[in-house]
Amino acid sequence: MKFTCNTKDIASAVGAASKVVNAHTTVPILSNVLLQADGGKIAVRATDLELTLEHAFAAEVSETGSVTVPAKLFSGYLSNLPPGLLELTGTPTRASIKYERSNYDFHALPADEYPPLPSAQKGQSFSLNSKRFRDGVTGTIFAASTEEARGAVLMGTLLEVEGNNLTLVATDGYRLAKWQTALDEGIGGAEKYIVPSRALAEAARNLGGAEKIDVTVLGAQNNQLQFSGGDTSIVVRLVDGQYPNYGQVIPPKFDRKIAVNTQQLIGGLKRAELVAGDRASMVRLQIGNSTLILTANSDVAGNAYEELEIEQTGEDLTIAFNARYLVEILNHIDSPQTVMEFLGPLSPAAIRPAEAPEGGEQMYVLMPLRQ
Amino acid sequence: MLEARTERLMIAHFDVDAFYASVAVREDPSLRGKPVAVAGRSRRAVVLTASYEARPYGVRSAMPLYRALEACPELIVVPPAYELYRTLSRAIFDVLGDGQRPVEALSLDEAFVDLGSADVREAEAIAQSARTRVRREIGLTISAGVSQAKMVAKIASDLCKPDGFALVEPGTEAAFLAALPAGRLWGIGPKTVRRLNARGIETIGQIAALEDGALHAIFGAWGTEVRELARGIDRRGVEPEREAKSISTEETFEYDIGDEAQLIDVLRAQADELAQKLEREGLFAGTVGVKIKRSDFTTVGRQTHLEQPACDAGAIFEASSFCLKRAQLRGAPVRLLGTRCADFVTRIAEQQRLF
Repeated sequence: MKFTCNTKDIASAVGAASKVVNAHTTVPILSNVLLQADGGKIAVRATDLELTLEHAFAAEVSETGSVTVPAKLFSGYLSNLPPGLLELTGTPTRASIKYERSNYDFHALPADEYPPLPSAQKGQSFSLNSKRFRDGVTGTIFAASTEEARGAVLMGTLLEVEGNNLTLVATDGYRLAKWQTALDEGIGGAEKYIVPSRALAEAARNLGGAEKIDVTVLGAQNNQLQFSGGDTSIVVRLVDGQYPNYGQVIPPKFDRKIAVNTQQLIGGLKRAELVAGDRASMVRLQIGNSTLILTANSDVAGNAYEELEIEQTGEDLTIAFNARYLVEILNHIDSPQTVMEFLGPLSPAAIRPAEAPEGGEQMYVLMPLRQ
Repeated sequence: MLEARTERLMIAHFDVDAFYASVAVREDPSLRGKPVAVAGRSRRAVVLTASYEARPYGVRSAMPLYRALEACPELIVVPPAYELYRTLSRAIFDVLGDGQRPVEALSLDEAFVDLGSADVREAEAIAQSARTRVRREIGLTISAGVSQAKMVAKIASDLCKPDGFALVEPGTEAAFLAALPAGRLWGIGPKTVRRLNARGIETIGQIAALEDGALHAIFGAWGTEVRELARGIDRRGVEPEREAKSISTEETFEYDIGDEAQLIDVLRAQADELAQKLEREGLFAGTVGVKIKRSDFTTVGRQTHLEQPACDAGAIFEASSFCLKRAQLRGAPVRLLGTRCADFVTRIAEQQRLF
């Protein structure tokens, strides 16, 4: 293979792909990225067998073919190249690069040993606006579990597709994020997929440039999902398992409600949390007289007290939360006002933006602390 | 590590009587003279401490709360107040150390104090005056045992409770121990007791009298040490820096176990045991690990971090069984399995779960 391309194009493609490579893999070829030159394009691919990322860019291809190069080494080299044109010649054992007056030879591994993409047998497919996708993903995946011990299902994010609606759900058992958004093209019927949250993060990061994102079920067992937009595609192995029945833990009705300035609440919680010490970052919320009082205290640090003006409906309430969890949720609320709804000091609370995101619905459920 | 001592120093062991229950009475004097138990609120709550008035009904610590209530329907159940226990514990240990004596805390309510080269009468005076001060200044009764041997001091204070004092004169340690049941000896658990009883050994005195052959047949390499303890010889000193960084429990199997389901059962029991210890100290563990010794004596350890520090058996077991799976034994026989909790935080608020 042989091609000439812009250093910036190849550096960003290899850089993105190398993030997928597992640094601790024991299979040598999985440390490499695959470069395929064909039809005026170079496709750069990396995989850790669960997640595959492919990014293509335009190049002047003089000889079609492929080569694999150690990802970390190659991306390190490319990121240090000034703008300009480079020429790459690939053989099964070597990738040679010419850039102005420099020549580099990288040891390569034969491209035909690189794991193939899953069978192109395609199942259901739907598509949506990429901004909505990105907002929905970043607004939910943070609530997924990061504890391997609790299993891959809770580390994943649920994608529920029904007609022209997509619902994303993530939960670690203490908090839950739910984001509903409209699809450009939906499916007939309803489907559920549990996607590793890490893959969604990669998809949100790498597909941002495209206008529209296509999501397609792949594989003979319908156990892979492909996210593609523009010149980038991500294929991920779905998590096999039963997602918790999240509908059951969201109370259908609440009897108390407040509306509060989002940024003021974030500021107050962050300051009060500093005083809470190691008591699970416990901050108490006292609601009464259309005022929200935040308090925290610890033997080590002292006392915190802050008052915020709120709109209050329903009875007074004192409830305690892990401030870190609440701040993390509020950080994903774009609306100036946040609405919080309650049932009691030990019951789940709902948190949502006063104005829902365009074309969708966003809500969080957070369990309180027992004082 | 054991610290060898050449000079024989006096050691006192102090133990607050029914600490949590006594604190409850101290806070609410109307509870005095009544059967009181301190226990958590969970469905599987166990009694953390029972007052002496509750004990004749058979109420014991570590007993499930519902059974305690069956045994003593008029039992007054009080929730634990860990923050207060910690404050009082610090105050008590300050009195015991009196700014000059090393204190080795075993838990919130129990400590060894190094009485140094004090002679027997001086040691008695120091211990008695500390007991008086704790009662007068803090409002709790505390029992004490004094001996040159650490273990003997502890056994002595256990035997003289409540509000008691016992002194074991130097040279009389073996005689003091002789008639006590073998299970009183440190390191001798119920399993070993059963093995000893099967050989007709009931008392510490019988262990002290064992010949080398029989001793090693029963205890293996550890035999000499056991017999020394049984004779009241204990060279360990007070180690003041000792603070629990982790708690663990482990079991060496009589026959190596290769069956994963059986190992999982062991972990479940160990999680129960550790959860009780954590609850008693009011601690939450941020890390759970397992230790596995294969039959070829190679040891592997695996541990995992908990996003939500926990003290309940369910969470400990979930984490420890995950660690066991990750060790990928593939049926390799195991001779020892242990569970360990570490990275403690003391918290009073418990994160509620959605499911």
